[in-house]
Amino acid sequence: MDFGLLITIFIGVALVNNLVLAGFLGICPFLGVSRKVDMAFGMGCAVTFVITVSGVVTWLIVHGLFNWVGTAVFENAGALYFLKYVAFIMVIASMVQLVEMYLKKFFPPLYEAFGVFLPLITTNCAILGACLYIDMKPETQNLINAATYAFGGGVGFTLAITIMAGIREHINFSDVPKPLQGAGITMLVAGILSLAFMGFTGIGK
Amino acid sequence: MADENGSNLKQFTDGIVNNNPVLVQLLGMCPMLAITNSVANALVMGAAATFVVVMSNTITSLLRNLIKPHVRILIFTLTIATFVTIADFLLKAFVYDVAMKLGPFIPLIIVNCMIICRAEVVAIRNGLARSLADAFGIGIGFTFALLILGVIRELLGAGTWTFPFPIPGIAPEGFIQIMPSSFADNGHNWVIMVLPPGAFLTLGVVIGVVNWIRSKSEGGA
Repeated sequence: MDFGLLITIFIGVALVNNLVLAGFLGICPFLGVSRKVDMAFGMGCAVTFVITVSGVVTWLIVHGLFNWVGTAVFENAGALYFLKYVAFIMVIASMVQLVEMYLKKFFPPLYEAFGVFLPLITTNCAILGACLYIDMKPETQNLINAATYAFGGGVGFTLAITIMAGIREHINFSDVPKPLQGAGITMLVAGILSLAFMGFTGIGK
Repeated sequence: MADENGSNLKQFTDGIVNNNPVLVQLLGMCPMLAITNSVANALVMGAAATFVVVMSNTITSLLRNLIKPHVRILIFTLTIATFVTIADFLLKAFVYDVAMKLGPFIPLIIVNCMIICRAEVVAIRNGLARSLADAFGIGIGFTFALLILGVIRELLGAGTWTFPFPIPGIAPEGFIQIMPSSFADNGHNWVIMVLPPGAFLTLGVVIGVVNWIRSKSEGGA
């Protein structure tokens, strides 16, 4: 196993090509759940869990199930690839359901605080996006690399949303022009954060 | 929206102006930010999303009496995923270059909250005519918002406006040079505008301007 490559993949997706700030994935929760640091961190953890499990399961579906059934039944490994998108979204929806039930049982306050944003993790493009990138990238074609990529993506998301929440807690005390209040100033701050993350360009690949 | 009395025409124009999915409702931000570094991308993305929202609203509206409430989200998602797969194949067949640039953002239309929101708010409760009017309004409103960003970012970042295919007479090579060519050649172009930070900054300013105009018009009325 190539640890160097694993570290490169992890840093690459968590910092250099951060899913939120460089890939524009998961902007909705990034704007919606970044008001308080503890909530943002909780959201980040939930997303990290869903992203890692979904990344592994969708990898198994494409490389295991689809290739096997395709080869056995249609004599063409790619015969079922047109079902990819439908399969990916089904996996993600079931994982989110799982997290929702777990939080409801063991962390009711967190569950209450998330409200509608918890089921909306299903439509968090960071998760589907990570699964699609794993499917496309040449270096994530083996299971361990794919899992590392997915986990790194989740960590990058948590990092971005927590930093954003920290900044927004301070913005509450500043005098923002009225039209920019809410989404406007958040986008501008995200732009500056994204500039800062561009400083990582050149690390890894 | 759904329970308001109003004509189909109003439902249509609402989607473009008062209820613009991106600039007012702040839905569907991911493609909005990611692919608006050129006008061509914005046009193709807008067309694909309009196709998907129209088809998903049609199917949802026709099946609205058959769908049980607790499985509705699943049905919506599967309907949308099916049409996104179709749109993906169509784009790869007709505008291959742009489709490659958009990459994962075509399949990501599946999780565009704007489309699921239209199914949930309008199509599941209304007849076909109104659902279609709404879908076209939202689709065009989305394309319009994408275009605003694409036009600003490409103009400042590269000095050109590109199109998905060559237009005889106006843009025979597939793009119009707006700024003088020395703009990009001498390095005066704002490279940051076509990079990720430019997307956030432009959208922040555009949302601010839209809010300002809205507050003005509400104050005047």
